Amino acid sequence: MEPTQIALYTLLSPLVSAVVIALFFRRNGTIAATISVASAAVVAAGGLMLAYGGHRFDASMEWFRFYDFGMSLGFKFDDLAALMIAIVGVVGFCVHLFSLGYMADDEAKARFFGGLSIFMFSMLGIVLADNLFMMFVFWELVGFSSYLLINHYCLKQSAAEASKKAFIVNRVGDFGFLIGILMCYGVYGTVNFSELAMATTGGAVVATAIPLLLFCGALGKSAQMPLHIWLPDAMEGPTPVSALIHAATMVAAGIYMLCRIEMLMVADALQVIMWVGTVTALYAALCAVVQRDIKKVLAYSTLSQLGYMVAAFGLGAGQTDSGALFSVGAAAAMFHLTTHAFFKALLFLGSGSVIHGCHHEQDMFKMGGLIKKMPLTAITMLIGGLAIGGLPFVTAGFFSKDAILHLAQVTNPAVFGILVFTAVLTTFYMVRMWKLTFLGAPRSDSASHAHEGGFMTMQLPLIILAVLSIFGGYTHGALGFVYGHSFEGIWSQIPHPESLVGVVILSLAILGIGGGLAWVLYPSGDKDGLETQVPGAFAVLTLLKESFDKVYTYYVAKVQDRFAMLLNFIDQILIAGLIIRGLAGFVGLFGLGARALHVGSLHAYVYWFLLGIVMLWGFAGGLF
Amino acid sequence: MSDIIFHVFAFLTIGSSVAVVINHNAVNSALAFLVGLFGVAGLFVLLDSFLLAVLMILVYAGAVVALFLFIIMLLDMKGGERKAFSKPTAIAGLIGAALLAVCSTSLAKGFNLLPPADAASVIPVGATLRNYADQLFTVYLLPVQVVGFLLLIAMLGVIVLSKKFEGLEDVK
Amino acid sequence: MSSIGLFHYLMVATLMFSIGFVGVLIRKNTLVIYMCLELMLVASTIALVAFSRFNGTMDGNVFVFFILTVAAAEVAVGLAIIVALFRRRQTVQVEELNALKN
Repeated sequence: MEPTQIALYTLLSPLVSAVVIALFFRRNGTIAATISVASAAVVAAGGLMLAYGGHRFDASMEWFRFYDFGMSLGFKFDDLAALMIAIVGVVGFCVHLFSLGYMADDEAKARFFGGLSIFMFSMLGIVLADNLFMMFVFWELVGFSSYLLINHYCLKQSAAEASKKAFIVNRVGDFGFLIGILMCYGVYGTVNFSELAMATTGGAVVATAIPLLLFCGALGKSAQMPLHIWLPDAMEGPTPVSALIHAATMVAAGIYMLCRIEMLMVADALQVIMWVGTVTALYAALCAVVQRDIKKVLAYSTLSQLGYMVAAFGLGAGQTDSGALFSVGAAAAMFHLTTHAFFKALLFLGSGSVIHGCHHEQDMFKMGGLIKKMPLTAITMLIGGLAIGGLPFVTAGFFSKDAILHLAQVTNPAVFGILVFTAVLTTFYMVRMWKLTFLGAPRSDSASHAHEGGFMTMQLPLIILAVLSIFGGYTHGALGFVYGHSFEGIWSQIPHPESLVGVVILSLAILGIGGGLAWVLYPSGDKDGLETQVPGAFAVLTLLKESFDKVYTYYVAKVQDRFAMLLNFIDQILIAGLIIRGLAGFVGLFGLGARALHVGSLHAYVYWFLLGIVMLWGFAGGLF
Repeated sequence: MSDIIFHVFAFLTIGSSVAVVINHNAVNSALAFLVGLFGVAGLFVLLDSFLLAVLMILVYAGAVVALFLFIIMLLDMKGGERKAFSKPTAIAGLIGAALLAVCSTSLAKGFNLLPPADAASVIPVGATLRNYADQLFTVYLLPVQVVGFLLLIAMLGVIVLSKKFEGLEDVK
Repeated sequence: MSSIGLFHYLMVATLMFSIGFVGVLIRKNTLVIYMCLELMLVASTIALVAFSRFNGTMDGNVFVFFILTVAAAEVAVGLAIIVALFRRRQTVQVEELNALKN
């Protein structure tokens, strides 16, 4: 089978699954689940075949043409796309498998799995897209799938609000994205990535506005400041959704898009991008320190790590070695994206296992002592936590994170300092989370009756992802069996600072300070240790989160709602009332007039005859 | 000479037409119609269609008007109902007349297209009985058959319509 | 030779037609309206015969034959309808025969 065919089937199988579920199996959750998991398996198989089979190709076909504007759909399958499709396939399959166990007693299973399939289709579309228009189409589709899935528990008001918020905030980012695409088309005459690369070789980039506007899309999708507010609320969706969409794949689409358009970047834009990422990383880490809900901690952690990736891109995208397809920054960002996908999905699925075991209890201060009841989950989450903290040499997170820190150190010391501090905070809240959840005595009934989920469905994905979190960091050498030689285009560009002793010591120091502080402050009591010991800091941190929300609420209530009411007025009264019903009424008047002719009086009818005859006679006689 | 005769018959015709329209009594209108038909017959004679003149008297005056009179009598009119013309009716009538006058004027305007007033010189085919039969049974045979059929249907229709229908109270 | 030409006959026909039409418009008695209709038919026969005479053909005359026949049949059927209507409605005043209103 040809690579384009494999790619096409991989892309379309989740769509087929979603359509079949939507049309036929709305009531039968079990069959729907099976179909969806099967399509996820097809995607994983197809993606891995393409990525590791060494197929790299471009293919495109024209969809429609409107004078001299043509929109084409196509695949651009290079190392970057191969990496992403491998990640999406593997993590997607693990999440699908996990959902079989997690959503086993849910009432709307069919809807959930249909939504997952639609999401896989849309994400694959973004990964495989070869031009900005196609990517935009699938971008929106991904946003829609996210809306669908966050709102899974549709009877909860908070879920409905959260899904609306996610979609609208994404829309705001997409508005900038669309303007950027249009400008790009206007300036370069094309939005195809390969053609853009050819048009901008030699460093001829025309405007700073284009990359910044395109970055707006990443702002929305990858939840950077100031459009980050939707991601914590998106935790209203079921945990597998959080794992797949809001940790591993959809939010990574922004980073992927940035890597795709790096040929359009200019130095000023890169500065902006770098600072946005850094600030987001710091802010999110600070907010994560004071969260009670286990999923919210992970959500803010995702925000923080995304900030890392964006900062990495901003730091290194200007430095491209000659002959390389990708810059250093893009490579570092993609590496961290890969390892993050693995360990964050692991952490989310682990938390899902915990939540499922504790019968949907999500407050960490009501858990505790789960290490005895759920040992596998405890160990895998430990591995995930150490990965995100960056335990040297053993975990994947170490390699990717230190690549970024090294890049920052040699490029921009201020950013480096902030990122190091953020790393300390990361370790702090991760250890806090793990300790509160698993150690100590059970603090509630549900915790004392916790149990592991089924092996095949809930524990196997955890094991797979844990293995990947350990071995996913070795891109070369004897232990590099995960990647083989398939992604040389990207992996060759990653900075490898781990040979430097200073780097290793720094990592150990980060782990020690952060972890130690957390261990001390949280002696597994009911109270938040930080709150009792250092109340000032706690108050400040809580305020950080609240104040941002307050600004948005104010804006929405005062500005947006008023504008919305104005538009509503225009729509209902002017357009619907005046123009549409007015026109209809006008036609109705004709009807009334015609009705007036039917008086039932013979004489009236004869008068109309007379009129007709007179006119005919007049015409014939040449009067008029 | 024929001019005077023409004018006499023309005024007779027009006058009785006006009488038909203006008379309040329906029987009077019918009798005025009868006189008008005589005038028309005279006009036909002046046009050298003797057969048609006689046919008009026989068919129209003899059968149609008689039928009209029968029905008028049958329907038990309240004598000469002297319902005066209401004002709207009069005004409407005037408007109608005016419009028709306008059309007649337009007819007069186009008159110089008509052939010269030399009646006697134009008789290539005379209106004799032989010529009638000639046309009717060769060129116009189909219309003759159709009209015969039409008469049959009319007869049947009249018979059916004259029956008394029972049980149609809902049609008020 | 007479100076009565085609125009005079047509004028007579037109006038008669117009008077008949006005009669239909004005009168309220259905039977009189019907008579005015017959007036209009007669007017058209005059016109036809005049044309036929002044063009030297037979067609107009023959057509009058048919008009005569059709008029007779029409009167028979129409009067039968009026009689039936009278039986139903007890009136032949046109103003009261307005069941098709609205």
